[in-house]
Amino acid sequence: MTRIKLALAQIEARRENKKENLRKIQEFTNKAQNQGANLIIFPELSLTGYVMRDQVYEMAETLPGPSSRIIQDLAKETGLHIIFGMPELSEKAKATIFNTAVLVGPKGLIGKYRKMYLPTHSVFEEKRYFRPGNQVASFGTSLGNIGLCICYDLFFPEVCRLTRLKGAQLIVAISASPAVRRSYFEILTVARALENTAFLAYVNLAGIEEGLQFWGGSRVAGPNGDLIAKARYDVEDLVICDIDFSDMKTAEASIPTLKDLRPEIFAELKREAEQF
Amino acid sequence: MILAPNVLDLDLPETVSRITRFIKGYFENSGANGLVLGLSGGVDSGVIAALSSLSIGGNRVLGLLLPESETYSSKDINDAKLIAEKFGLKTQVCEITPTLESFYTTIPVFDPEDRLCKGNIKARTRMIYIYYYANKLSRIVCGSSDKSEAMMGYFTKWGDAAADISPIMDLYKTQVRKVAAYLGFPPELAEKPATPALWPNQLAETELGIKYETLDLILYGLEHFMSAEEIVSQLNIEASLVEKVKSRWLSAEHKRRLPLTVKLEYRTIGADFRLPREGY
Repeated sequence: MTRIKLALAQIEARRENKKENLRKIQEFTNKAQNQGANLIIFPELSLTGYVMRDQVYEMAETLPGPSSRIIQDLAKETGLHIIFGMPELSEKAKATIFNTAVLVGPKGLIGKYRKMYLPTHSVFEEKRYFRPGNQVASFGTSLGNIGLCICYDLFFPEVCRLTRLKGAQLIVAISASPAVRRSYFEILTVARALENTAFLAYVNLAGIEEGLQFWGGSRVAGPNGDLIAKARYDVEDLVICDIDFSDMKTAEASIPTLKDLRPEIFAELKREAEQF
Repeated sequence: MILAPNVLDLDLPETVSRITRFIKGYFENSGANGLVLGLSGGVDSGVIAALSSLSIGGNRVLGLLLPESETYSSKDINDAKLIAEKFGLKTQVCEITPTLESFYTTIPVFDPEDRLCKGNIKARTRMIYIYYYANKLSRIVCGSSDKSEAMMGYFTKWGDAAADISPIMDLYKTQVRKVAAYLGFPPELAEKPATPALWPNQLAETELGIKYETLDLILYGLEHFMSAEEIVSQLNIEASLVEKVKSRWLSAEHKRRLPLTVKLEYRTIGADFRLPREGY
């Protein structure tokens, strides 16, 4: 498919209430289905809410697991692809957890991405609870090639660049970003799309958890950096938009960042980063 | 970073919107019947009263006026009532002098000359009244501490800072004054000299030994990891002043936290027992 319809499901997650969040995921997915969407995207940790602290050990599930199976059934029933975020319990351990984005389709689980860059500064304490992932994710689907990343990953252009080089046409960034960081993400989302001449869909939480006010503002940036769609700030919203992968050719021809890549500097980048 | 007054500028509509959403969200999640707050006639509690009313409606906000004989000020009472009327919240006056007198006469070692210890009884007594109303009416206590006071430890431990939420604790005093002006407070009230009202004629700036305009810039610099030397150089002020502020800020951390305990078991309250603050 070259043209698909995206649904940005900017929800307020109910903290530590998977039942309610699953109900909301179903409600938004049904609405998106009625509007002809092919893919619906929910925010980071949308299954559980963001601020769990020690309760994350109660909330985490393996993948596949009970909640992901419910969402797989929903995808099958509606024919939509669904991306959501959850704390993923390692199958081989009892308290090793990843902050994971999950992609399911009508035929089942397609893939997952474990957040590589875990913010542990300011109000964030993700490294205390999560193990970082170690690989980018790009999946071939019936809708096109979809890459996944999560929130703070956007500050590291190499994540999106590698995801793009693995073939992603649409990079999906799910997020739980508080309002004081809004201006950063408004820049980063456009920059990551433009520098990779790819589509980037950013879906943020709304609502307030523990004084953190998630700013919403979910958006889709096109391969030339244009904003294609934008959700409201701060509150729940469902935004539907079309993207056409054929637009990437036009953008790539006039902004040929991929053609102009200079792999020879990457070795030096690696060396300097290691010694920094 | 250039430490100039404009670093304390606010996007006022955005700030008010964020605070009112915070109050409303917390209130709705709590299942409480309303909010209770102490209404002193000062700018902090006036701003909290206004923001609370804007958040959930004045009919669900109760402002307690808690005068006592030594610090009684008809101007404070009038200012408190003016704000209550302007923002439509209910008020209740509780004269606390008899309660204070009973403390003064029943504490065997009570020293009337020690105005700090005596003043702290006043702050804690006000807290007891406020929490009584909150318990009785199933309400939340909305605190009015600002960031300047909180950083300096310029409050009575378990007294005036005791609250369930403190919606303006991330705003410096000079920023609270800007919010007050934005909300339509009369200029003389927005700029009214602050006092904890622990003893007659007590003024915060006199006691702290610094104007809030300068204090807030020093605190802003410390908040942003600036060294004392950088702050002194930029503000062109005495190094001893900055050191005094920094020392007071650091030594007051015990007032901002739960009591310290010794680590004995698997998870310890106040240390590594880390739960979300709001229940679910």
